[in-house]
Amino acid sequence: MPKTYDAIIVGGGHNGLVCAAYLAKAGKKVLVLEKQHVLGGAASTDEPFPGFKFSLYSYVVSLFRPHIIRELDLPSHGLEIIPLECSFLPLPDGDSLCRWADPNLTRREIARFSQKDAEVYPEFGMAMMKMAYFVKRIIDAPAPDPLSNSPAELINLLRLGRYLSSFGPDVMYQQFKMLTMSAVDFLDEWFESDILKAPMSVSGIIGTFLGVRSPGTAYVLLHHYMGEIDGAFRAWGFAKGGTGGVSLACGSAARAFGAEIRTKAKVEKFIIKNGSCDGVVLENGEEIHAQSVFSCLDPHRTFFKMAGEEHFDDDFIRQLKRYKLRGSSGKVNLAVDRFPDFSCRPGDGAHVRGDIAIAPSIDYLERAYDEAKYGDFSRRPYINVVIPSLVDPSVAPPGKHVVSCFVQYAPYDIKEGPEHWPERKEAFGDAVVDTLAEYCPTLKDSILYRQIHTPWDMERDIGLTEGNIFQGELSLEQLLFLRPAVGWSRYRTPLKNLWVCGSAAHPGGGLMGSPGELAAKTYLGSLKGPQ
Amino acid sequence: MTNGRSSKKYDVIVIGAGHNGLTTAAFLAGRGRKVIVLEQRDVLGGLACSEEFHPGYRSPGVLHDTSSVRHGLIKSLNLASHGLSLDPEPPAIHAPVKDGNGLSLHHDAQKAAREIAKHSEHDAERYSEYRAFVDRVRGFVNGVFDESPPGLGTIDARTFWPVMKKGLGFRRLGKHDAVELFRIIPMSLADWLDEWFETDRLKTLLAAPAIRGAFVGPRSPGSAINLLLWECRKGPSVKGGPGALVTALEAAAGGAGAKIRTSARVKEIGISEGKVTGVTLDDGETIDGAVVAASVDPKTIFLKLLPVAAITEKFAQRIANYRAKGTTAKVDIALRQKIEVGGNAGSSVEYVRTGENLTQVEKAFDAVKYRLCSSTPVLDVCIPSASNRDFAPDGGSSLSVLVQYAPYDLEDGWGDRQRELLGQRVVETLADNIPGVKESVVGLRVLTPADLESHYGTSGGHPYHGDHAVDQLFVRPSPECARHTTPIGGLFLCGSGSFPGGGITCAPGALGARAILKHS
Amino acid sequence: MPVPTPFHSRTSECCTSLLYKDWAGYYAVRSYDTYPEREYFAIRHAAGLIDVTPLFKCEVYGAGAAAFLSQIMVRNIAKLKVGQVAYCCWCDGRGKVIDDGTVARIDDTYFRVTSNWPSVAWLSRFSRGVEVTIEDSTHNIGALAIQGPYSREVAKIVSDIDVGELGFFWTTPSRIDGVDVHISRTGYTGDLGYEIWVDKKYAVKVWDAVMSAGKGYGLLPAGLDAMDITRIEAGYLLNGVDYYNANHCIIESRKSTPYELGFGWMVKLKRGSFVGRDALVVEKSRGPQRLLVGLHIDWDEHAALFAEHGLPPEIASAAWRTSIPVYGESGEQIGYANSGTWSPILKKNLALATVKAPFGKEGSKLRFEVTVEYERRTVTATVVKKPFFDPERKRA
Repeated sequence: MPKTYDAIIVGGGHNGLVCAAYLAKAGKKVLVLEKQHVLGGAASTDEPFPGFKFSLYSYVVSLFRPHIIRELDLPSHGLEIIPLECSFLPLPDGDSLCRWADPNLTRREIARFSQKDAEVYPEFGMAMMKMAYFVKRIIDAPAPDPLSNSPAELINLLRLGRYLSSFGPDVMYQQFKMLTMSAVDFLDEWFESDILKAPMSVSGIIGTFLGVRSPGTAYVLLHHYMGEIDGAFRAWGFAKGGTGGVSLACGSAARAFGAEIRTKAKVEKFIIKNGSCDGVVLENGEEIHAQSVFSCLDPHRTFFKMAGEEHFDDDFIRQLKRYKLRGSSGKVNLAVDRFPDFSCRPGDGAHVRGDIAIAPSIDYLERAYDEAKYGDFSRRPYINVVIPSLVDPSVAPPGKHVVSCFVQYAPYDIKEGPEHWPERKEAFGDAVVDTLAEYCPTLKDSILYRQIHTPWDMERDIGLTEGNIFQGELSLEQLLFLRPAVGWSRYRTPLKNLWVCGSAAHPGGGLMGSPGELAAKTYLGSLKGPQ
Repeated sequence: MTNGRSSKKYDVIVIGAGHNGLTTAAFLAGRGRKVIVLEQRDVLGGLACSEEFHPGYRSPGVLHDTSSVRHGLIKSLNLASHGLSLDPEPPAIHAPVKDGNGLSLHHDAQKAAREIAKHSEHDAERYSEYRAFVDRVRGFVNGVFDESPPGLGTIDARTFWPVMKKGLGFRRLGKHDAVELFRIIPMSLADWLDEWFETDRLKTLLAAPAIRGAFVGPRSPGSAINLLLWECRKGPSVKGGPGALVTALEAAAGGAGAKIRTSARVKEIGISEGKVTGVTLDDGETIDGAVVAASVDPKTIFLKLLPVAAITEKFAQRIANYRAKGTTAKVDIALRQKIEVGGNAGSSVEYVRTGENLTQVEKAFDAVKYRLCSSTPVLDVCIPSASNRDFAPDGGSSLSVLVQYAPYDLEDGWGDRQRELLGQRVVETLADNIPGVKESVVGLRVLTPADLESHYGTSGGHPYHGDHAVDQLFVRPSPECARHTTPIGGLFLCGSGSFPGGGITCAPGALGARAILKHS
Repeated sequence: MPVPTPFHSRTSECCTSLLYKDWAGYYAVRSYDTYPEREYFAIRHAAGLIDVTPLFKCEVYGAGAAAFLSQIMVRNIAKLKVGQVAYCCWCDGRGKVIDDGTVARIDDTYFRVTSNWPSVAWLSRFSRGVEVTIEDSTHNIGALAIQGPYSREVAKIVSDIDVGELGFFWTTPSRIDGVDVHISRTGYTGDLGYEIWVDKKYAVKVWDAVMSAGKGYGLLPAGLDAMDITRIEAGYLLNGVDYYNANHCIIESRKSTPYELGFGWMVKLKRGSFVGRDALVVEKSRGPQRLLVGLHIDWDEHAALFAEHGLPPEIASAAWRTSIPVYGESGEQIGYANSGTWSPILKKNLALATVKAPFGKEGSKLRFEVTVEYERRTVTATVVKKPFFDPERKRA
């Protein structure tokens, strides 16, 4: 049987496309199959209402690795990132807090709530920056495996150990604490004001089914400081034309390197013969063969649905079954006919041209979590609002705006059962709009169109099992050499010629591109000779 | 010292005569050191002190479980010769079930499995596997926690081998168990227990000791390791409870020549040129000594007993940040009648744990996040009078109840009314589980976390001198003093706020003593 | 965006150059004219009036205040008499300098600390168990510096007390045009001078009074560029330029000890413990590893290098703050200069440099990098005593 492709990539999300681009760049014959009509998966842009372009799910570009942008020359394929100018926290009592790029301005803002916190804030940034080097090392390379007996691994491990200890005991200790502490506990060590800590702490819970007081949530705080050491000042930003712009640029780069990309091509099953994955069968029955298959789907889909349990041993299956997906967030996109004024700080100035957090206190966030813990969406959720149309006129008609609300918590497993989400969907949308309207009184009247994505929708529409935006919770026991299963963090799978390249692989979810890049590089490396 | 009254000079001054302080004193006095122990209260034992809380009724101690006492230490201090004896095996624990027979968990794995089988065949089988797993990793885990931890980032030739040996021990566990151990560290109790079992009552019973002593609920990540530690340490209890242990330790220390003084509150630790010179008591008396072993909590030691400039601001900051807000209250109840638990007339159940399911426990935890008391608290009950007549008058019972959760910083502040309300809730919760309790109460002593702080001097009213969270377990209380030594020459830690943490294990006391012998 | 100081309505009227900079979040005039010469010479020959409001100020008061500050500062603050001001630095627990500034004993139990960085959070770290209140007052108080040989005459006219009696590094309450102020004989120019501290509500009134009193004495508003030249002539260091706040350093080597910065004279080791003492005892006995020294850069060599290309010697019109390498005789780099200036009054090219200790002896000949016609060259620089300019009148 002729092998028509070197590699088929199942799923045209940003990771799949990055992987495809790297493989094609290395001269491989690559085919990407995406079931939706647009590329991007969770990082896609669509125009469901005339004139308004919504970043359907993922809404800001945070950690997309700069070296991937350079190596794939993404700007020449249309990638443009517009930096966020401010982090804005409106408060119910009419007050508000803005954190700016200007340190003096930020200090004055914070000083209104705590003089001490205002002074310590830059020191905190410095300490975080120091530690971000550690994260960089982790996310820019395959995970070290402490259980392997191979001498190369041991040397690699020792090298990593030496690198870490070169930072000195202080940084190592902080690092250790960050990995295990809760975001709030960690921030408590530095700051006294709830008003400052609440919006900072939320970065630790995005996409996880944990509260800001749950241990293990501190680590993600570091991600906010990654931009600094990447040499990209203010790395967080909007992709021009919506987050899908990142995926489209990756897709365009992949095509330019010679990859073939098909949309509306839903894969039904992998073709497995003699313990080897030889290709895929599409929904319409078409069979496509390849040397290797790369899946950027989550582990449940990859191994249970596409491959089939029967091809794996019990231990592997047991590990995957307890792999936690647990989606916890929803997305509400609004098309509005005028700018939604915040009553605490009116006007469409710089303060709303960044991210806006509805997170007025730590107790508020914890209460939102408590509701979700017991199987309900939060009545007063944490909302991360962005209004990209203020800085990118291409996404809405003049004078009108797109309001994107990332909402937590919306647990997949509501107490009625996830299949009852469609009945609760509108109530969930109302809770979000009601919450936001407490800060923007004119919001409700200005809504032209409302789009709601519950975890149930995300599972059905873009194939994220349990609606988990990271394809698996980013908790320590599911990271590094444990992601997605012990011994299989290196993008290979127990099935010959089947590789994984999505967020379920190291270093995990988020708009980073790393799993795709590292999978491609590991695969290409393996072709050069035995490991 | 220039003080004229400084004729009293000791090799080692131990601050605090809790079980750890006494352990340190007994070890050092046994090695010929001239030791004095200073206790601020008029009785010895600290949180392990057995006290009369109602005429004729005694509590076993604020903490009541002695099944984690390190047995090697009982042998090396020869506590048997000082009157200490052990129960033949760890006690059974009972989980009452409304309108049912409840679940009694014997220490014997097979007996326990048979009992569990009445509720779930699946869980009976899984329980045997669970116990087998604990048995396989026990040696490694206890090996880690019975020795001082390696300093963070200071792995040099001297500490390389112990670390290497532990690393090899870890790998020798085999891939499966090693991965499991690694995986458990960040996990939540609920996730881990859900992987094993399906019976709610079994899960809450096992979870009870692991939610105590940290700001966690069963769904908080990092709570599973506390259960594993508990399971690995569990052994036969001390006959007569914590009080008997304290008596034996006192006899051992005294017998070896240590001087023990009560009502002697240390006001300040004297420092000169970065070294300890002795201590000053409340009444101004100074006692000289080149070594001070402090078994009180780290915040008290470093932020109250030392001059401000004696430690760097960074270190002070870390100690200030050390998390030690108690979530446990203690209620001692005097009952006029003997109580029977679980309908097993005749068998004397000594330990009872409440909590219907982990969701209920989690809800109990939610309250404390908002600085409130749980409306349905989870109780860990010890009935010392069941097997020992010293604790209650004939025909009566004494109940020692550890209550989760009660915040240290209660929203409205702790007053008599709040304390009373807490007592009522505990009695009502008990009555739901043990019929007849409510009518039989003759006396009640409620100790809120705020009371634990004011009575026993533990900062934040924390019964373990600081949260058992992953970061605070391995580096306890901070990297500067994680190995019982401190940046101040001659000052050592030997209390629950040092490695390997709180509970009646006496391990910090023993490791503290070892550090003193090594470094002075 | 910076905010205006309480004097902004007046300074902005005079600032025809529109040259401002952001000083600690305030609009601060760099120079009122396009070049700072006029303002510089006003300070050195007549009097200059500088808006120094952005300087951080912190009030420390309470029964324990004196003992508290003595625990933190390297000088024994408890020894200050009421009305006395001390210039000093403070360190972290490892003896690395956090900041430098003045501590004024306004009352027995009331102190005012000035600093380059906000200091409330830092001071508060040591306040456990002490009866003391620490408050930032930066945004409540306007501060003006009158500096120059005729500053005393101006101050005498505006003040209701005899400013002539006020000694060097003393402060006193006073009234100006009916407004309560504090006047201290301090400054950052190395000249005779006074600083006036006033509630921001009355700031403009005080400015007007001072300006009108100064008419007969050539008083001119002066900007930061002029002050920068004078502070280098005076050998004063600037935190964030010549050295760094230890709390703001990512790497150890960026931190400095008082002995390295030439602050050793302030450090009083023979008293009770204070923050950083143990480390400073060690540092003193070992000796500093590097030294912050004054450099006199040979002008003739400088001019000769330019002459090789047929060019007149080039020099910046204001003080510079870029880092310039300093080499030993044999060509290896032994340090760097972080600020420097041409001194119009001394006619010398000056720099403040950090060099390895063995090269820091007075009279040492070093090589200083100069870029001439796109080429990197070096000229001789001699280590000289600071201050470069030290007029008698400063203390008299």
